Amino acid sequence: MSGLEDKEFEKLAVPLLDGLYNFACWVSGNPDEARDLVQETMLKALRGFASFRQGTNFRAWMFRILRNTFLTSRTGLERRNTQQEDEETFAEAAVSPETPEIALIRRANTELVQAAIAQLAPTWREVILLADLEEMKYKEIAEALDIPIGTVMSRLARARQQIRSYIVAALSEKKVVGIKQ
Amino acid sequence: MNCEWREKTNLYADGELEPAAQQAFAGHLQNCTECSAAVLEQQELKKAVRLAGKRFSAPPELYATVRRQAGSQARIRYSWWKAAVVAACLVIVAAVGFAWYSGTRETNATVAQLVDQHVTMLASANPYDVISSDSHTVKPWFQGKLPFTFNPAVPADSPFKLLGGKLVYAQRSPGAELVYQVRQHRISVFIFQARDVHGQASAANLAFTVNGWQQGGLQYYVITDAAKEDAERLRSLLQEANR
Repeated sequence: MSGLEDKEFEKLAVPLLDGLYNFACWVSGNPDEARDLVQETMLKALRGFASFRQGTNFRAWMFRILRNTFLTSRTGLERRNTQQEDEETFAEAAVSPETPEIALIRRANTELVQAAIAQLAPTWREVILLADLEEMKYKEIAEALDIPIGTVMSRLARARQQIRSYIVAALSEKKVVGIKQ
Repeated sequence: MNCEWREKTNLYADGELEPAAQQAFAGHLQNCTECSAAVLEQQELKKAVRLAGKRFSAPPELYATVRRQAGSQARIRYSWWKAAVVAACLVIVAAVGFAWYSGTRETNATVAQLVDQHVTMLASANPYDVISSDSHTVKPWFQGKLPFTFNPAVPADSPFKLLGGKLVYAQRSPGAELVYQVRQHRISVFIFQARDVHGQASAANLAFTVNGWQQGGLQYYVITDAAKEDAERLRSLLQEANR
């Protein structure tokens, strides 16, 4: 790899830093660990940049390295060992159309939505973060997380349904409490 | 509550439908309050997640570290490369010295001078006076600077890429140095008027491949650390271009 390629790498990678760090914080739950993960990701990517094919998706490639780095870290291994999710059995029909709660969702403040994201199963959280924060296409998410597009769609639907229920439940409770007072 | 389009609201809100389907869905939304409310909710939810999810920003020191990582990677390679150039220079000095004592002083003086120029170009931070991969930019740049003309173009499907050119002097005569790249190697092609500069081109003892020829009253030299075959191939391409 030449100096020119290093410059090219820097140009492509630096704009992704905030997104990668934010994602790393969410998955690892620890800013120090997130910093190490991003640093390691950058080093791995820099070393592998020569093999990175121009025209393929650089962002998905970077998130994929980050996620693999996380999964082989101590926290990542712990997560893999404790994970008991069977979201793949989730059928599309399980998302029963409910009455939209637009007003409630609008009322949800940042802390509440953050709490809703935090309580998601890690594999669902990753998908919704990549979809709504990084605004990745399903195909990119599938590439970054190394899962089929169908799984992306089902996890995303499930994650949204949970966030929505969490917000609705929290705000309805508050409303009830408010009436009682 | 059971609109058949309802299950597509996620796809629509994420912009994942094919353009035609996206448009058809948008049309449907005009008439279906159920779906339009569902889409609106999806959009509100997406917005809420986007705003709340952007919770952590990379600290400035992480930016600095990453930039340093990219930089040091370049430096490691650069210093390796510099060491290689120094080593190559030593070999050339030794080879030129050897050639000198072998009594081929006259013959190799020009070539040694040009090899020096090639190494200077390799080590220089500003190796070209005109930087362009387009022969139509490089060629006119030399107009008025040199009393002759030539064609630096090589076919686009050849492994050679023109990087730029530089005005050089050898034996007090002006000439052109064209720099090409083949894989990771750079090749200098020197062009002078044949009557001004003359030297035997073969330099078997030098670490560099030197390939020279005369054509149309001009003296050409190809100097590179790439394979002999590459030098030979570039030579035939340029001979063809200047025929």
